[in-house]
Amino acid sequence: MGIWFALFLLAEPVNFSREVLPVLSDKCLSCHGGDPSGRMANLRLDTREGATAKVIVPGDPDASLLLKRVTETNPRRLMPPERSHKARLTVKEVATLRAWIASGAPWGRHWSFEKPVRAPGRSIDSFIDPKLTTKNGPAPRHTLARRLSFDLTGLPPTAAMLAEPSYGALVDQLLASEHFGERMAMWWLDSARYADSDGFQADATRTNWPWRDWVVESFNRNVSFRQFTIEQFAGDLLPNATVEQRLATAFHRNHMTNGEGGRDPEESRVDYVLDRANTTGTVWLGLTLGCTQCHSHKFDPITHQDYYSFTAFFNSIDENGEAGRKAKPYASYASPYAARAVAEAERLVNERRPAEAAARASAEAPFAAWLAKQRGVPQAWRPLRMTSLATAEGTVLAQAADGVIVASGPNPRQDDYRLTARVALPRITGLKLEVLPPFTRGKSGDFLLTDIKVQVRPAGSTQIRDIAVKNAIADYSADKQANNNYGDIRDTLDDDPRNGWTTIGAPRTEPHTAIFELAEPLVLAAGEELLFEMRHRSTVGDANLARFRVSATDQRGPAVQTLAVAPLEELAKSGLTPALRERLFTQFLTDHAPYQAAREALDQAQRQLDEVQSASKVDVMVLAERATPRESHILLRGVWDKPGDRVQPAVLPAIGALPPGEKADRAGLARWLVSNENPLTARVIVNQLWQMLFGYGLVRTPEDFGLQGEQPTHPELLDWLAVEFMENGWDVKHVLRLIVRSEAYRRDSRATPEMLAQDPENRTLARGPRFRLASWMLRDAALAHAGLLNPALGGPPVRPYQPDGVWEELFMGRFKYEPSEGPAQYRRTLYAFWRRTIAPTFLFDSAQRRSCEVRTSRTNTPLQALTLLNDQTYLEASRVLAAMEPVRVFERVLARAPDAKERAVLEREYRRALAHYQSHPGDALKLAGGSPERAARMVLASLILNLDEAITHE
Amino acid sequence: MNSRRDFLGALAASTLLAEETSSARLPHFAPKAKRVIFLTQSGGPSQLELFDYKPGLVKLAGQELPDSIRQGQRVTTMTSNQKQLVMPGVTKFARHGKSGTMLGEWLPHLAKVVDEICLVKSMHTDQINHAPAMTQFLTGHQLPGRPSMGAWASYGLGNESRNLPDYLVLLSKMLRPSDQPLYDHYWGSGFLPSRYQGVKLRSAKDPVLYLRDPDGLPRPVRRSMLDSLAELNQHRLAATGDPEIATRIRQYEMAYRMQSSVPELTDLRDEPEEIFHLYGPDSRRPGSYAANCILARRLAERGVRFIQLFHPDWDHHSRLPSWCTARCRDTDQPSAALILDLKRRGLLDDTLVIWGGEFGRSVVGQGDWQSIEAGRDHHPRAFTMWMAGGGVQPGLSYGATDDFSYNVSEQPVHVRDLHATVLHLLGIDHARFTYRFQGLDFRLTGVEPSRVVRDILV
Repeated sequence: MGIWFALFLLAEPVNFSREVLPVLSDKCLSCHGGDPSGRMANLRLDTREGATAKVIVPGDPDASLLLKRVTETNPRRLMPPERSHKARLTVKEVATLRAWIASGAPWGRHWSFEKPVRAPGRSIDSFIDPKLTTKNGPAPRHTLARRLSFDLTGLPPTAAMLAEPSYGALVDQLLASEHFGERMAMWWLDSARYADSDGFQADATRTNWPWRDWVVESFNRNVSFRQFTIEQFAGDLLPNATVEQRLATAFHRNHMTNGEGGRDPEESRVDYVLDRANTTGTVWLGLTLGCTQCHSHKFDPITHQDYYSFTAFFNSIDENGEAGRKAKPYASYASPYAARAVAEAERLVNERRPAEAAARASAEAPFAAWLAKQRGVPQAWRPLRMTSLATAEGTVLAQAADGVIVASGPNPRQDDYRLTARVALPRITGLKLEVLPPFTRGKSGDFLLTDIKVQVRPAGSTQIRDIAVKNAIADYSADKQANNNYGDIRDTLDDDPRNGWTTIGAPRTEPHTAIFELAEPLVLAAGEELLFEMRHRSTVGDANLARFRVSATDQRGPAVQTLAVAPLEELAKSGLTPALRERLFTQFLTDHAPYQAAREALDQAQRQLDEVQSASKVDVMVLAERATPRESHILLRGVWDKPGDRVQPAVLPAIGALPPGEKADRAGLARWLVSNENPLTARVIVNQLWQMLFGYGLVRTPEDFGLQGEQPTHPELLDWLAVEFMENGWDVKHVLRLIVRSEAYRRDSRATPEMLAQDPENRTLARGPRFRLASWMLRDAALAHAGLLNPALGGPPVRPYQPDGVWEELFMGRFKYEPSEGPAQYRRTLYAFWRRTIAPTFLFDSAQRRSCEVRTSRTNTPLQALTLLNDQTYLEASRVLAAMEPVRVFERVLARAPDAKERAVLEREYRRALAHYQSHPGDALKLAGGSPERAARMVLASLILNLDEAITHE
Repeated sequence: MNSRRDFLGALAASTLLAEETSSARLPHFAPKAKRVIFLTQSGGPSQLELFDYKPGLVKLAGQELPDSIRQGQRVTTMTSNQKQLVMPGVTKFARHGKSGTMLGEWLPHLAKVVDEICLVKSMHTDQINHAPAMTQFLTGHQLPGRPSMGAWASYGLGNESRNLPDYLVLLSKMLRPSDQPLYDHYWGSGFLPSRYQGVKLRSAKDPVLYLRDPDGLPRPVRRSMLDSLAELNQHRLAATGDPEIATRIRQYEMAYRMQSSVPELTDLRDEPEEIFHLYGPDSRRPGSYAANCILARRLAERGVRFIQLFHPDWDHHSRLPSWCTARCRDTDQPSAALILDLKRRGLLDDTLVIWGGEFGRSVVGQGDWQSIEAGRDHHPRAFTMWMAGGGVQPGLSYGATDDFSYNVSEQPVHVRDLHATVLHLLGIDHARFTYRFQGLDFRLTGVEPSRVVRDILV
């Protein structure tokens, strides 16, 4: 059989790069490759010298040990060995090797390291069609318009686009749209691991967003990819560099920065240097350079020394490994896009201010009416009558008639008091703790309360819930600095036993008072009990409270925010004065819901305005060289503080030399990357563009064009496109235009069972691309369909809806997520604030933005279904779309009319939903804020936004 | 990744594995553990106070750590410029159980079940700072981007539950901002398809994000809407032939089932009073570690493959006595209760419980070692974890450290060995369990040598 294959293969000479090298790479090179540290038997098969020195006799397969070892019957001698868990060579692979050796074992280079060449005068389809036995015709016009519009702008087509009869004109119109740059930027931001925060522990906010706008502009101006690259690598080194060119270099500062305490900044700095090299490798060269951090590449011709010479280009940045606001170098930048955002935020404040004033004015009358009825309350604070006085460590507590609780019995070093009360007040707005002398049975005479908790236990329930405490005040707090961090009353709210409240320093003979203000008034249901837990867990201990009283009030405002006598109590005692009237009005307003709503709306708008105003001029992290360059070394095993031999900046020799006359600096590196002599960059970039339009690249491992990457499905087409790209001045729009005008791109995406059986992954491109749209496009499309989209370009980040508490859970309140208000809510997803440790929740399958990503992930999970069903953006879009007939919504979203079957299902579902809402008008009000018809139409709109076709690139 | 894979992935587990793993069908051999409950203690609990009894240190208190012990070991910048003075453990130790295992006094509840657990006192890792160490502890590599152990398990073995995800994550709800946030890459799927990532169960109105339908959209309306959605999608499937649509229809159904299975799971009202006594007073507070331990048992009962709890704030650089006891109070009783509860229900035999953090703490006192202010810095070279059930020998103490609890002296267990062992207990040969990405066959245990710790297996 072997001979038969050999003869067969001899008829057509074996292609070393495409047929032999992949076998050697996959089966042999992990132990017999370029990495000397892991090399076995001192045999290397990654060079012809190595292979022919020992195991290959060119022209004589039978004398070649290689063939013997891969066909061994003795499992102990068989290669690859069992412990490598690699499958043995197939009969065909062996035959290929045999034929190749027989033909003299000609060596060559891996295909992607050879310069692409192309036959003149061909078209994209001429590379695809000859391999096809069957292919689909063109997709319907509306499908094409949707496909094209999402691909080139990330937005659904407008009615005008759908009416455009000329496909070519539509292509030109979309490429000219300012949303084109936004769509391309989303691709580029993933590659650039762009985020609005550092990542890691502190995850401090950064302000590099002007770079994002620079990217959008560059694509919209169709800046050549050459120039685009050079500015991002070396904008600062260009003669008479503009501030925008310096801004461009933020690309190489978008990596994560680690400000973790205890970390050596130099270790971080080294990480950033390597990250830049690895990102360059993945995004421009399609090489997995990260593999070379610890050892020479096992598969690709890149040595340990090559790698560190390459990273040396980035080693002399004037940076120091710090994070947060100390991550120099910066460029101070006043963005032209900030003014629009400020004006928009100002308009919102101006809209809301009169509403607040009006709400205040209209509260006057009810206030007067309320005031007229007030006689005051003789006692604003009511001592709590405890039903249980439990302790964790054995202190015995007893309550006297005046409510005072006294400790006796064992006096443990630390203890938690768990007090339970039934409260007769209609609601609880705050709790008061009076500490009475003698404060404690501890030796020092000073008490130390580390934490308190307020909880509610529903009657008969097994579970309790925490009640949020907004603030705590006390008449005296000891100096924290002087008392081992103990003193501040507010530290009783943080569950940290290393701080807490004490009154050390004040006379021990006077009582003290603390007031805890609840975040929201608490209304106890029948049978519910209030739990007040007092924790004494200080480091030294022996400072548990011995005499104290706990009271509650139902008063809001000044009563729980100051220690002064509550306004209504004062009223009872001394009658109304103008000053008291003012305090009472303040108290009234805190309780007056219509005013509070208007006030909160205004406050939110004001906070938003403050935020965008501070963004008028921001510091952007950029590149700049140090006056004296750092020495660069190989890092032994990739460890930052284990320098080996010294290296100089140098490009990767396996790919080609620096162009003549170029300096070995970042500018030289950039020009080498985008030189027409570079065999990789143009191929890698056109492959990414292809992936954007077809869902998969011509090389389906866009991050790896090396020996372990996949072979291109259409090698000549890839090369043809790469050359076309270079010869046209690295013109991105030109390449996109060529591809979208091809027949292959315009094909219908339907698949017959035969097609699926033959080519399930559509590698032959016999049908058009069909895949789920990126989740950011889905959000943008929902807003666009509903007419909610705010199409403004650029500016500081915004915060789309996200479920409550997502940031707060992670950071325990250190970062609070407040969704944007007004038109800022409806900006494109590109502008959504991206906190690196917790990406926007409404996105799925998005790049993680931790390291560069050039491959798109596309999964299909129940969580995605839940997001599209229940995320507020989609619900709000559905609510707006409910103004239209379901059939109209269907037409708008899918750009086509429903067929008879679809119409029937929509109508039936509408009737079913309507029936429910007619019998439950309360539900209609809750869901849609309107009539049963409206609610039923909203359900239908949501259904339509969830249709597979609606979320799919067809 | 490619959608074909996901389509197939949604089919039966056997099909999924044939398609998705480059190795043989899983499990490779009969598993001892069907599921894992990983009680992750983030921040680095101190082995010196809790597990690793070093009475000899009292005599050496306040002396400089000998160079022969430190061996040029790197310390963090928090203590690199102070003297390295020995601080003995601040707790009393006593023997417990038939096994006579020594435990520090801050773990009175664990002491009562000590014969059920296996202490591994010879753990070590490569990383000295939190995020890299935790990332290595959970994913095998110090940089984010690899799948976590739970994602590997989910990818390899799928699920026994029809109504819940394979891999669920529960975070303790704390009042204090923790210094070490729990990044979602700790339970991420890395380069595996994202459906293998851990799903976080929150102690909020929506235990899973977007789970709750909006007000005014009751279940019958949702049901009817999803029926129509499925009908229209089926119609589209017939027209386009795209098998991805079939998967989508199934995923919407799973979403619908989760809308009832998850609230049913997280509603502890059907637990008897006695259970709350067992897990301690904190178990009544939703989101507490104790309540999460009850949830972990409920998830185990429902066949979820990998259940991971995170309890933060074990990073005790200062005031060790007050700070560390606070974390022990949170976790001691519930962890012990979980073992008892699983055992009573016959679940402990095939459930592997793991307790531990990303590293340990140093024998050197941070700050003035004699003051109440003192704490301990990070220490990667030796730390302790424990495991129970799922094929691990009960009542065993494995491995040992030197007199300073500084270096491992016997039977070292690298975190990679832990990974190999956990996979082994799940019936997986770590060396054969790979995933091809960027041209390389990745595995949880990476490329450095690693071994299954057979000595601790039943």
